Amino acid sequence: MPEISPQEFWFLVPEMVLATVGMALLVAGVIGQGISNRASEVVVLLGLGVTTILVVWTQGHAPQGEILAGMFVLDRYAFFWKLLFLLATALTSLLSYQFVERGRYRSAEFYSLLLLATTGMMLMASGVNLLSIWISLELMALSSYILAGYFKSELKSNEAALKYFILGALSSGILLYGISLIYGATGTLQLAVLAERLPVAIGESALLPSAGWLLLAIGLFFKVAAVPFHVWTPDVYVGAPTPVTGYLAVASKAASFAILVRIFYQGLGPLVVEWQLIVAAVAVLSMVWGNLAALTQQNVKRMLAYSSIAHAGYILIGVLAASELGLWALMFYLLTYSLFTLGAFGTVILLERREYAGEVYSDYAGLAQRSPYLAAMMLIFMLALTGIPPTGGFFGKVYLFAAAVESGWTWVALVGVLTSAISLYYYMGIALYMYFKESDATTPRPLHSPVLVGAITVCAVVTVLLGVIPGPLVEFAKASLLPLP
Amino acid sequence: MFDWVQQVPILSVICYLPLVGALFVMLVMKKENGAGIRRFATWVATFDFLLSLPLWFAYDRNAEAPLFQFRESASWIEALGARYEFGIDGIALLLVLMTTLLGVLAFLSSWSAIREREKEYYVFMLLLQTGMLGVFMAMDFFLFYVFWEVMLVPMYFLIGIWGGPRKLYAAIKFFLYTLVGSVLMLLGILALYFYNSTGIMGWGGLGDEATFSILRFHEIGSQIPPDLQFWIFLVFFVSFAIKVPMFPFHTWLPDAHVEAPTAGSVILAGVLLKMGTYGFVRFSLPILPDATWQLLPWLAALSIIGIIYGALVAMAQKDMKKLVAYSSVSHLGFVMLGLFALNTAGLNGSVLQMINHGLSTGALFLLVGVIYERRHTRMIADYGGLSAEMPVFATIFLIITMASIGLPTLNGFVGEFTILVGVFNRVWWWALMGAIGIVLGAAYMLWMYQRVFFGPITNPENKGLDDLNRRELLYLVPIVLLCFWIGLYPKPFFRVLEKPVEYVVQKVDQSYPGAALHEQPASEVHGD
Repeated sequence: MPEISPQEFWFLVPEMVLATVGMALLVAGVIGQGISNRASEVVVLLGLGVTTILVVWTQGHAPQGEILAGMFVLDRYAFFWKLLFLLATALTSLLSYQFVERGRYRSAEFYSLLLLATTGMMLMASGVNLLSIWISLELMALSSYILAGYFKSELKSNEAALKYFILGALSSGILLYGISLIYGATGTLQLAVLAERLPVAIGESALLPSAGWLLLAIGLFFKVAAVPFHVWTPDVYVGAPTPVTGYLAVASKAASFAILVRIFYQGLGPLVVEWQLIVAAVAVLSMVWGNLAALTQQNVKRMLAYSSIAHAGYILIGVLAASELGLWALMFYLLTYSLFTLGAFGTVILLERREYAGEVYSDYAGLAQRSPYLAAMMLIFMLALTGIPPTGGFFGKVYLFAAAVESGWTWVALVGVLTSAISLYYYMGIALYMYFKESDATTPRPLHSPVLVGAITVCAVVTVLLGVIPGPLVEFAKASLLPLP
Repeated sequence: MFDWVQQVPILSVICYLPLVGALFVMLVMKKENGAGIRRFATWVATFDFLLSLPLWFAYDRNAEAPLFQFRESASWIEALGARYEFGIDGIALLLVLMTTLLGVLAFLSSWSAIREREKEYYVFMLLLQTGMLGVFMAMDFFLFYVFWEVMLVPMYFLIGIWGGPRKLYAAIKFFLYTLVGSVLMLLGILALYFYNSTGIMGWGGLGDEATFSILRFHEIGSQIPPDLQFWIFLVFFVSFAIKVPMFPFHTWLPDAHVEAPTAGSVILAGVLLKMGTYGFVRFSLPILPDATWQLLPWLAALSIIGIIYGALVAMAQKDMKKLVAYSSVSHLGFVMLGLFALNTAGLNGSVLQMINHGLSTGALFLLVGVIYERRHTRMIADYGGLSAEMPVFATIFLIITMASIGLPTLNGFVGEFTILVGVFNRVWWWALMGAIGIVLGAAYMLWMYQRVFFGPITNPENKGLDDLNRRELLYLVPIVLLCFWIGLYPKPFFRVLEKPVEYVVQKVDQSYPGAALHEQPASEVHGD
C-alpha cells in the first residue's frame, strides 16, 4: 500500500472547497425557508471565485510529480483546464439565473448540482490514474444526468435525462470494461506505467489489451460526442434546459477532451500510430456528419447540438496531430469555443418563452431591428462558430488545420476546411432571420435580463478580442502542454 | 513636400479610418438621423480618399528595392510567426486609390437609393472599405487572408438586406461560393508556410524561420518543387478564379450583381473582382512560376472562353444590370489574358485594365442605378429614346460605353491595346481571340445603347424624366475625367506600374533579363 501523507490532501483544497459549497447550498436549500435564487447565485459566484484563487495558489505550491498515491498530478495542463471549467461554470450560472427564476425551481439544488459537476471535472483534469479519472467522470456525469432532466414538468426534459442516463451509463460501462481489460493485461492503472507495459502486453497476446484500449477509446468518443457515438447528443441537447445544454456542450465536452488527450498521450502514447488512424476516421466522420445533419435543422438547439458534434470533429484534429501545435491549438480552441458557444446559448435563452418556445429559426426574425445589440452579438457568435475573422473561432480553426497539415494529415484538414465552409449556411441562417426578415406579432421579444445580457456581452467581447489579439492565450496554452506521445 | 508621409503609419490610418467611422455611426449616431448619418459617412469616405492622395505623390517610382513602400511592421502572433505588415507597391497603390475613390462615389450614389435602415447600411459600407483596403495593403499572407475573409461579411449583408427580389439567394450564394474558395486558399497558405519552415509531407522543407511574409514567399518561389507548386497553384487558382470570376466559376456573379443595391454592385464590380486578379499578380505568378508555365495553356483557354462566353451571354440579356454583369466577366477575361502573357506589356496592360474596368464598369452600374431610381425598371425593352429627355445622362452614358468598348482617347483602349501587344508576343492567335472579344464587346454595348437611348420614345412613361441632378453629376463626372486622362495621357499610371510589373515578370519568367539578380538556383529556362 503506497504511503499517502496527509499533507498531500491540501493540494485538493480547491476541489474540496467547491464540493463543500455545493453541498452546503444543498443543505441550505432544505432548511427552513430555503435560500433565494439571488442568494444562491451570489454564493455560487463567490464559491467559484474562492476556488479560482485556491487553484492558482495551490498551483504555485504544487509539487512535481504525482500526489496521493499516483492518483492526481497538478501540472500546468490540469491548471489550464481547471480555469476553463471554472470560467464556464461561472458563465453557466449567470445564464441559469433567469431559468431558475422563471420556473421557480429550487435554486439551491440546481446550483449545487452544477458545482458538484464542476468538482468532478476539476478532478478529471488532474487525474493520472484510470480509476481516479473514471470516478471523477462519474461525479460529473451523474450530476449532469439530473441537470438534464431539470424541467420536471416537460416531457422532453424527462426524455433527455433518461436517454442521457442510459447512454451515459452505457458509455461509462464500456469505458470501465476497457479499463478492467487493460488492468488485466498490464496489472496497472497508472497512465505513466501503462505506457511502458501496454506495448509489451500487446506483444505477448494481442487480444486482451487491444480490446481494452479500443473500448477505452470508444467510451471516450461517446463522452465527447463524436460520430458514430453521438446519437444521444441531439435529443439530450434539445430536451435539457438551455443553460444546462450550454454547460454540456462546453464544460462537459472540454473535460472529456481533457481526459481523452491525457489518456491518449500519456497512457496510449506508444500506440500513437495505431490510434491516429482511428482518430482521423472519427474526426472526419464527425465533421462531415455533424455539418450535414445541421444543414437541415429548423430547431436552433438541435442545430447547435449537431454543430457541437462537428466541433468535436475539428477538435479531434488537434488530438490527431499529436504535436505541440496540435495540443495548444486544441486547448485554445476549446477555450474560445466555450465562450462563443455559451454566448450563443445565452441568446437562445433570452428569446425563450414558456420553456421551449424561442428555439426555432423563425423566432429570430427581425431581431436586428428590435434589439440591434443582441443581434450583433449573436452575429459575432455565429461568425465565430463558422470560423470567420475577426473572431477567436477563426484562429482556433486555423491553428487546428495548421497542426493537421504540419503532421502530414492534409486530407483531414481539407475535409475540415470544406465542412467549415458549408457550415456557414446554417450558422448564417440565424443571421438571415435576424437581419433580413421582419418580425411579426408572434415573434417573441427578448427578455429583459441585465445579468444574462452582461454575461453574453463578456462572451462576445472576449471572442472578438481573441480574434484580434490571440497571442496571450496562445502563449498560456503553449505553456500548459503535456509531453507528446 | 510629401516627406511626412513616410514618417507616419499612413497605410494603417487610411485602412482603419472607415472602421472608426463605422464604430462612431454604430454607437453614437441615432438611427432616425438618416441625413446626418449619410453625410457623416460620405465625409469619412471623402477624407479617406484625400488621405490616400499623398500616397500617389510620395510613392518613389524609381525604387528598385525596397519595392514595397510605406512599410509598417509589428509583431502579432509570435507563436505562428504571423506579423502585422503593411506596405504597397505600384500595383497596390493604384488599387488602393481606386478603392477609396469608388468608395466616395458609391456613398454619394446611396443618398437617394437607400432610405431604409440607413444606419446599418452605412456601417456595413464603411466596414467593407476597411476590409478591402486591408487586402491590398497586407504584406503578410496571414493578415491578407484575414482581411480577405472579413470583407465577405458586410457584402453579404449589403446584398441580403437592401437587394432586389432574389437577394437572399444571391447573398448566401455569394458568401458560400467565395468562402469555399478562400478556405482552400488557407490550405495553400499553410502549405507554403510549412514548406518554408519545417517541411510538408513528402517534400521536406527549407528550414527557414517560420513566417507568413509575402516577400519571403516571393524569394523562395523558384525553390519550391514543381509538383508542390502545382497543388498550391490549384488551390489558389480556385480561390482567385472564383473571385475574378473566371469561367466556369463565374455563376455567382450575375445573381450577386443584379440583386445587390447599386452601390453594392459598384463596389463588387469595381473592387472586389480586382482582388481575384490581384491575387494572381501578387501570389500565383511570382511564387509559383513553374506551375504557372505548366498550366499556362489551360489558364489562357479559360480566359479566352471567359472573354467570348461573357460577351455572347451579355448580348442576350434583357436586363441592363445583368448585361453589365456579364460584360464584367468578359472584360476580366481580358485582364486575365493579359496576365497570362507573362511579359511586361501584358502585365502592365492588365493592371491598368483592372483600374479601367473598375472605373468604367463602376460608372455603368452607377448610371443604371440613376435610371432605375427614376423608373424602377432595368429592362431594356422598357426604354427607348432617352437621349431626347436626358441629354447629359445620355452623353455620359455614351462616354462610358465607349470607354468600356475600348475606343481610342479613352482608358479602355490603352489597357486593351497594351494587353494585346503583350499577348501577341506570347502566342499570336491568343491575341486574335482577344480581339474578337473586343468586337463582340462593341456589339452588345452599342446595341444596348441604341435600344435605350436612340430612336423615338416608345414608352410614354419615359417622357419628362429628370436629367442628372448636381449630386449625380458630382459622382459621375470624376470618372469621366479619369477615363479621358488615362486614355489620353496614361504615362503617369504606367510609370507607377513599371518597376512592380518588372519585379513580377522577373519572378515568373527566368529568361527575363534581371531575373538572375535574384539569386535563384538554376532551373530550366522558360519562354517560347
